[in-house]
Amino acid sequence: MSKDTQQWATRFGVILAVSGSAVGLGNFLRFPGQAAANGGGAFIVPYICALLLLGIPIGWAEWTMGRWGGRKGFHSAPAIMGAMGRGKLFRYLGVIGVLIPLAVSFYYTYIEAWCLGYTYHYVTGGIDGVIAGAPIAEQTKASADFYATFTGRLENGVLTGGSYETFIFWALTFAVNIWLVFRGLSGGIEKFCQFAMPTMAVCALIVLVRVLTLGTPDPNLPDQNVLTGLGYMWNPNFEALANPQTWLAAAGQIFFSLSVGFGVIINYASYMKKKDDVVLSGLTASATNELFEVGFGGMITVTAAFVFLGLSGTIAAVQGGSFGLGFTTLPVVFAHMPFGNLIGAIWFFMLFLAAITSSISMYQPTLAFIQEALGCTRKAATTLLVAICVPASFLVMYYSKGGIFWSTIDDWVGTFLIFVLAMVQIICFAWLFGIERGWQEAHEGASIRIPGFYKIVMKYVAPGYLLIVFAAFCYSNLGDWIGSVTSEPLRQGAMLLILATIVFLCVLTYLGEKRWRAAGLDVDGERQDA
Amino acid sequence: MQPEPLNVYGWIFMIGSLTFVWGLTIWCFAKVLSLPAPPPEEVKEFHSA
Repeated sequence: MSKDTQQWATRFGVILAVSGSAVGLGNFLRFPGQAAANGGGAFIVPYICALLLLGIPIGWAEWTMGRWGGRKGFHSAPAIMGAMGRGKLFRYLGVIGVLIPLAVSFYYTYIEAWCLGYTYHYVTGGIDGVIAGAPIAEQTKASADFYATFTGRLENGVLTGGSYETFIFWALTFAVNIWLVFRGLSGGIEKFCQFAMPTMAVCALIVLVRVLTLGTPDPNLPDQNVLTGLGYMWNPNFEALANPQTWLAAAGQIFFSLSVGFGVIINYASYMKKKDDVVLSGLTASATNELFEVGFGGMITVTAAFVFLGLSGTIAAVQGGSFGLGFTTLPVVFAHMPFGNLIGAIWFFMLFLAAITSSISMYQPTLAFIQEALGCTRKAATTLLVAICVPASFLVMYYSKGGIFWSTIDDWVGTFLIFVLAMVQIICFAWLFGIERGWQEAHEGASIRIPGFYKIVMKYVAPGYLLIVFAAFCYSNLGDWIGSVTSEPLRQGAMLLILATIVFLCVLTYLGEKRWRAAGLDVDGERQDA
Repeated sequence: MQPEPLNVYGWIFMIGSLTFVWGLTIWCFAKVLSLPAPPPEEVKEFHSA
């Protein structure tokens, strides 16, 4: 019978792995757009509030739950939350903690493949049709056409039935992910993150230096310079602070950026030793994520777009969303930039690293859950994982038109359910497990102490804050989302895939529970803490 | 809307934010590096049946 006795090899291993999970495309593409559209520099006020009152405390709760569960012999969210919440309800709610990383991985690896593909194109000469020296309108059209063709947005079936390029990049990306996860925690994920995170930082620094030294590239357009670009990004509009939308956007950004409520931290932390520090580790992982988001994302993307595209071009780019900014606008910017192909290659390689350190963190919780529930070897669990992910990712790539299929999964699982899981986790930690017991557990082996007022934050403020943000989020989005699902067959197909995945994970939980009880594990968390 | 170079408040928010994220990250990593090595811990086999 199999057992999962893996551990992180070094203290830095788990910190870099969790940081790698948190740092993704959103740090470089979503944050700057959100900040620029919601008050510029003033956005940082609600952003830091959300970080201190929502992101960091919920993160600490998740780290603590994971390490506690690991001591009981559990590594999956259903098992850990069942033990912590003492019963079936939280065990089955814990299924969300596997569903989120698994379902998001169905489309995330496909997006990751875009980054690899763009890197390849920059290394081999640039994006087809985006010619340096051509008028910006022509470049923008060529870039948008390339993006639409490369990602299969124009028509269903093209990626699996004719245009093999993206499919090959996906296959390569998926294979690397599975290989890394199969190699295990310390031999695969930890080693890779120890290489990827510093490499990503170096790439980001190179691009940052390039952007900040652009000066005024076109003397005929003296307003389009670095200082004005930074001004567009950072000059505060204090009136935005009176707008609730700014506060919601900031809380949403923090929330999605830190990987809290995603089901990853709880799994990663379960491999820590009893006396490993979760307080400092959690804070360090959050700080690293913020460095990439504010320190690099906040300085590079919008500034570069402004210098070459001007005010109207940048506003259009920001309104085009994260992917529009990253995959359509930036290739135009790189076409104008000295050494643009090199910087483009470094930029998209950095995005690829950011994406792959996130995607391996999505496969690992599912792998651990399969192993734990069925008692099978890592090899067998990996085979089953591949058998689930390949057909699901094929569906995503086949139904690629307009990105409707995958964006439905992103809306309902990658956005909506993250709120739900975070809420369930903080209630489980602060109310069912008990804030005093949780506090004591968090401080086992801790080298720093959490300020005392965080007891109130974790018990009242964070759940309340989250509830308000969630209610406002549902009010703004849910009606439209439900309407589009009922009217769009592709969205209904995506919902069916989500439902099938939920049923499969619930069956595994049922089988796992029987197995854990037979093995004499503390399934309902009734025994004294060791 | 007229593009405006980075103004005083912009500088304050930008430098303040960068100082915060760089400072916090450096402090955290320095603290982690200064911790003594943890003692080896025996791994229990929970899932054997």
